[in-house]
Amino acid sequence: MKVKKVKITPILFMLPTVLFLGLFIYIPLIQNFYNSFFEFSVFSQSKEFVGLTKFQQLFVDEVAIIALVNNVKYAIISVLLQVFFALVLAAILEDKFFRRFAHVFRVIYFMPVMISISVIALLFGFVYNPQIGLLNSFLELIGLEQWAKPWLGNSTTAIYSVIAMSQWQSIGLITMLFIVSIQKIPKDLYEAAEIDGAGKIRRFFSVTVPQVKEATFVNLLVTVTGSILVFNEPYILTNGGPGNSSMTLAIHMYQTGFVKDDMGYASTLASLIFLLSAIFALIQIKVSKTGKEE
Amino acid sequence: MKKFVSFLVVILASSMFLAACSSSNESNGESSDDDKVVIDFFHRWPNEPRKSFYDEKIAEFEKQHPNVKINVDSVLNDSYKEKIKVLVSNDDLPDVFTSWSDTFAANLVSSDRIMELNEIMAEDTEWSGNIIESQYAGFTFDDVTYGIPFTVDGKAFFYNKQIFEENNIEVPRSYDELIDALDQLKKAGYETPLVEGLTNGWAISHYMGTIFDRVIANDVLIKDYNVETGEYTDPGYIRGLEIFKELTTYMGDVSTAIDHEAARNMFAAGEVPVLYMQFAEVGYVQDAGDVEFGFFNFPEVEDGDGRPKSLTGAPEGWMLSKNAPPEAVEFLKFLTSEETAKEFTKADGQLNAIKGGVTEETSNPTSLEAYQIILDASDATPWFDNAVDISIADVFMRGGQELATNQTTPEEIMAKVQEAAAKLRNQ
Repeated sequence: MKVKKVKITPILFMLPTVLFLGLFIYIPLIQNFYNSFFEFSVFSQSKEFVGLTKFQQLFVDEVAIIALVNNVKYAIISVLLQVFFALVLAAILEDKFFRRFAHVFRVIYFMPVMISISVIALLFGFVYNPQIGLLNSFLELIGLEQWAKPWLGNSTTAIYSVIAMSQWQSIGLITMLFIVSIQKIPKDLYEAAEIDGAGKIRRFFSVTVPQVKEATFVNLLVTVTGSILVFNEPYILTNGGPGNSSMTLAIHMYQTGFVKDDMGYASTLASLIFLLSAIFALIQIKVSKTGKEE
Repeated sequence: MKKFVSFLVVILASSMFLAACSSSNESNGESSDDDKVVIDFFHRWPNEPRKSFYDEKIAEFEKQHPNVKINVDSVLNDSYKEKIKVLVSNDDLPDVFTSWSDTFAANLVSSDRIMELNEIMAEDTEWSGNIIESQYAGFTFDDVTYGIPFTVDGKAFFYNKQIFEENNIEVPRSYDELIDALDQLKKAGYETPLVEGLTNGWAISHYMGTIFDRVIANDVLIKDYNVETGEYTDPGYIRGLEIFKELTTYMGDVSTAIDHEAARNMFAAGEVPVLYMQFAEVGYVQDAGDVEFGFFNFPEVEDGDGRPKSLTGAPEGWMLSKNAPPEAVEFLKFLTSEETAKEFTKADGQLNAIKGGVTEETSNPTSLEAYQIILDASDATPWFDNAVDISIADVFMRGGQELATNQTTPEEIMAKVQEAAAKLRNQ
């Protein structure tokens, strides 16, 4: 057996990343899995091994089911609006006819991305305010006062109101990513399509969509995993309420741990969230086979 | 293989380095630069006027004790509850910090990281005896006192005197009369005669704690509120939730979409005639509007088995970490001295547990009236979310929101409560 000489330089280069990844991602991850087999509280220094009890609890936890459904709603709406609609938006902005005004719109769409989500959530708290809120006032202005409601205080509308705000904030970023991707498409593809007599819509589906496949994949991954992890928006706007109607898995985890002081079960929920996002990511990587074609 | 070994060595060496870094910054009151004693002080009033009041007090104390440096940190209510839990679990408790009484204090005490104060109190009775005796109860467990009460509080219906007079409405003395009054107000054009910010779980829990205390016999409550014996099978709970639901019908749609602060502003603006509030809020109402208001305790519920005249409310106070330096004790005494209390009442308006702190000189007639209600109350009922285990309180609080939005029934809520209670009993 030939012993290779160990080169120290590449190891030194990789070391900081490996170290920090290990320290801040992988060790906590393993620790979290480990913790989900215990019953413990932040106040006590003792842990009690309970085996798989906490995982069994997951299957009878109504709140977790509501939360999961809400996360799925979040994901579906986000994919439709942020990925599909953002692509359409990007294509329109990059269209020859529109390009003159494009930067104005780009700034407008991108603005919300730059504002902190906490600030936005507080602002939307005002928008949705049942009495003085912008939304209800607007509805009254255009004669639809029968549609006015306490958006965040109504158990059917609360989660959708939160989702709507998220879309408003994130669509700019995704649009921007698509724009960058569209700009890289060689012009001759469009010219050739035009010569072949393809209209704008045909060109969008036959040229733009396949050419931005990589960007679509990244954006899908970002939005779907983002929807499973979502915490800030519903936490600030509704705290999961009224009742549990706008609960998400992350809020449920947080409250189980830090409000109800059941750290073991909170770890279990964290493991569930991790598994879900990992599974979704893997499926998407498999399905899109990105990077492997050609 | 060799590669792997050298890789391991590097990892190990660097993790040791990191570990060395992280352990060097433990201060916990021990001396640091210039031999100064550093005291970590954590409170929950980042808003005015109280933030400035404490900042001034800190400066004053530092001036009197040149060898002491006080590090202050403050976050608001809910964040405070969460942050202090993280700190206690990391053994990183500040030297002096605020605490609520009852279960909140009991939880902290169970960490075994809180200083026992019996000796300190016995050594300086001039100081410790100047605090209203009854207020120590929420901080005392198994005859050991872990906290010094500072502010006292109570919860009552604030009512707009002018609106009541205009509509010839008497101050209600029973629950039926309260409903009657609310109906009259509704007829007089107030769409939501009563309001509350139901997005705040604690606001719901305050209602429920009081209502249960009116309709359920006290010994039943004592048994149920204890995690080891709680069953929650008394029919009074259903009745209590029905009462709560009935009250929410006077709050309208808006209540589940706003927070307590918004509700308070509506009261202060004269839009809402009745609101269930804490005496601690007198100052805010006076600042936010110019309505003339009075108080009445949650009225007696006819044929309720509970205590008809008890007052919901509990003190808040200060605790010390077990490792706090002696200077922190000095600082605690300074914070709860009669002089500080007087200035505090003047600056902040909140009532406190220090004898001589609330007088005609330091506070206005409205606050004095509230103070008298607290002193005269037959019994005190702790805040519900501090009286029961949080997993029980959570079911009631979320259930309360669902009752207000017609998503659930009192029976369904009680089934969940009983389930949660059974789980706690078996722990």
